Amino acid sequence: MPFDAPAPVLRHDALNRDHFLLTLECPSIAREARAGQFVMLQTRAGFDPLLRRPMSICRVLPGRRGRIQILYKIVGEGTRYLSQQPVGALVPTLGPLGKGFRLPDGGTRPILVSGGVGIAIFPFLVESLRAARRETPLLVYGARSRGDLVALEFFRKKRVPVRLATEDGSAGTRGLVTRVLEPILADAGGAPLEIFACGPTPMLKAVGALALGAGIPCQLALESQMPCGIGVCLGCVTRCPADQRGPVFRRVCTEGPVFRADEVVL
Amino acid sequence: MRDASPRPADVDLSVSLGPLRLKNPVVAASGTFGYGCEFAPYLRLADLGGFVTKGLSLLPRRGNAPPRTCETPSGMLNAIGLANVGVEAFLAEKLPALRDCGTAVIANVFGETQEEYVAVSRRLNGAPGLAALELNLSCPNTEKGGLAFGVSPPVVREVVAAVRRAAPDQPLIVKLTPNITDVAAAGRAAKEGGADILSLVNTFLGMAIDLKTRRPVLDNVVGGLSGPAIKPLALYMVHRVHREVGLPVLGMGGISRVEDALEFMLAGSSAVQVGTLNFFDPTGSVRLVREIEAWCVREGVRAVREITGTLRLPASGTPTPPAG
Ligand SMILES: Cc1cc2nc3c(=O)[nH]c(=O)nc-3n(C[C@H](O)[C@H](O)[C@H](O)COP(=O)(O)OP(=O)(O)OC[C@H]3O[C@@H](n4cnc5c(N)ncnc54)[C@H](O)[C@@H]3O)c2cc1C
Ligand SMILES: Cc1cc2nc3c(=O)[nH]c(=O)nc-3n(C[C@H](O)[C@H](O)[C@H](O)COP(=O)(O)O)c2cc1C
Ligand code: FES
Repeated sequence: MPFDAPAPVLRHDALNRDHFLLTLECPSIAREARAGQFVMLQTRAGFDPLLRRPMSICRVLPGRRGRIQILYKIVGEGTRYLSQQPVGALVPTLGPLGKGFRLPDGGTRPILVSGGVGIAIFPFLVESLRAARRETPLLVYGARSRGDLVALEFFRKKRVPVRLATEDGSAGTRGLVTRVLEPILADAGGAPLEIFACGPTPMLKAVGALALGAGIPCQLALESQMPCGIGVCLGCVTRCPADQRGPVFRRVCTEGPVFRADEVVL
Repeated sequence: MRDASPRPADVDLSVSLGPLRLKNPVVAASGTFGYGCEFAPYLRLADLGGFVTKGLSLLPRRGNAPPRTCETPSGMLNAIGLANVGVEAFLAEKLPALRDCGTAVIANVFGETQEEYVAVSRRLNGAPGLAALELNLSCPNTEKGGLAFGVSPPVVREVVAAVRRAAPDQPLIVKLTPNITDVAAAGRAAKEGGADILSLVNTFLGMAIDLKTRRPVLDNVVGGLSGPAIKPLALYMVHRVHREVGLPVLGMGGISRVEDALEFMLAGSSAVQVGTLNFFDPTGSVRLVREIEAWCVREGVRAVREITGTLRLPASGTPTPPAG
């Protein structure tokens, strides 16, 4: 049962100029959330911005307090207002929403592919994989520049190997994540892989195409404008393979946000 | 000693709109409440005066390509494209589960031709558990060049009369489009066609442009504007239709706070619908019910229906275009 109530801000840390880590107390969300699910946050009281903003549940913290963390980047007005919420403020929070990741079967190596702030979805997945005793994943993480890479410390502590790509070459391989991903898929040496990706749509499109080409199962966490987040406005749809009757659209908020690469046409 | 002002239990929230009786004056608007069941995890449907389903067509429709929505200052644009399950699936899969939901279920109906309006309405006529039909006249009329049915009073009169004949057993709400110079003329035409109730307003045509790409934001280019931004425009239209047509009015457009709902009632609404609020505050509609009740207690109003149309107008209160 989704929870909708004002959640107190317990901590609010700037990770760098435009990335923030928000810790909220909302026990029922913490109890029920699964990796890949999201919440809708009101970023400011009043009507401007009007709509809540979807944010992945980055982590559920251990302990009885029922704390969740949101990692976000300021991209516009809503996230800017959110970044001004002080400790103790109440942020109306609705969730957990959507269908999260399906965890891989045992014996499959998870490859996590992240572009930009898409990284926010992966700490929870890493901890879920660990809890389910799955293989340690490999993280392939791309960003524009070194300064845009966040949360690396978390993955280091969890002993998750990380391969970096930056567009300006300031860290890791110069170029897009797919440049790092391609040789990994080619050199898997027959070990079964499964890809989990989150990032900008062009990246998801490229990663999905690589995976489909290589016959590797692949789950994509999509982004979309979400006025309601609960499946009623029909605004957040993504295009899926057409059938005899024409184009097919599915709601990212309720049928996703995680889809198999072969289920969507990006 | 007992206080003379009414306590919550004493306030009568029920309202009547012609043949339609609602337990309270807050109704969730079409397209913002799914088929009702989607909201069951968030609120008790029985706490609402009623809700209107997503618009139903004869056949299922998948709607427009994304992006379908865009936020605007205190509002949003949508071009969903009237995606819906179709009238047969609604009757078979949605309505039976709603029969005991404890509130009025109103089916919103549209068609691209008059025949489609008639066919959908005939199919819904007398369906058990349905409290009323609401005709969405904002739909493009494919037979008459794609302009909305609701913009031409003669067309309004004709389609309403045809539906009235096809669905004689259901209270008939006709939902007016605001994208018209004289909304009262459309309201009068709906009355002549046999409407029991008028609901207004649907969304205002609008658009948004992405300056970076120099393209329209919506794939459909044009969308419908809703939310707090449209409230003054909608309130004015409700005021005019109430004064000039003489049918019960279900007013809506940007209602987000209890004050908004009460203003619409003063302007002539017998009950109100809330739309976009359901998106950004999924329990907001039931909060409005409680707050209307609390307001009545505070103001000593014993029956909320008494405030409808009690706007105090200046002596020269006929609405005319302002000068200056
Ligand atoms: C399921 C889901 C989970 C998400 N999780 C996170 C997260 O964990 N951390 C995070 O930082 N962001 C996340 N996002 C994206 C986040 O919702 C947007 O960045 C936010 O809505 C922007 O709001 P704003 O008011 O700051 O920007 P706006 O003023 O709305 O927009 C500013 C710019 O951002 C773009 N934008 C707006 N919404 C989105 C969107 N949904 N996706 C991509 N670009 C967008 C606009 O096109 C515009 O160029 C998620 C989105 C979805 C759908
Ligand atoms: C996403 C969306 C979908 C809608 N779909 C319908 C519909 O199917 N039929 C209809 O008559 N009105 C539809 N409407 C219009 C609303 O019912 C309402 O008239 C309008 O949004 C104004 O009210 P509001 O400002 O409270 O949202 C829709 C509105 C929105 C925002
Ligand atoms: S955001 Fe409203 S249906 Fe998905």
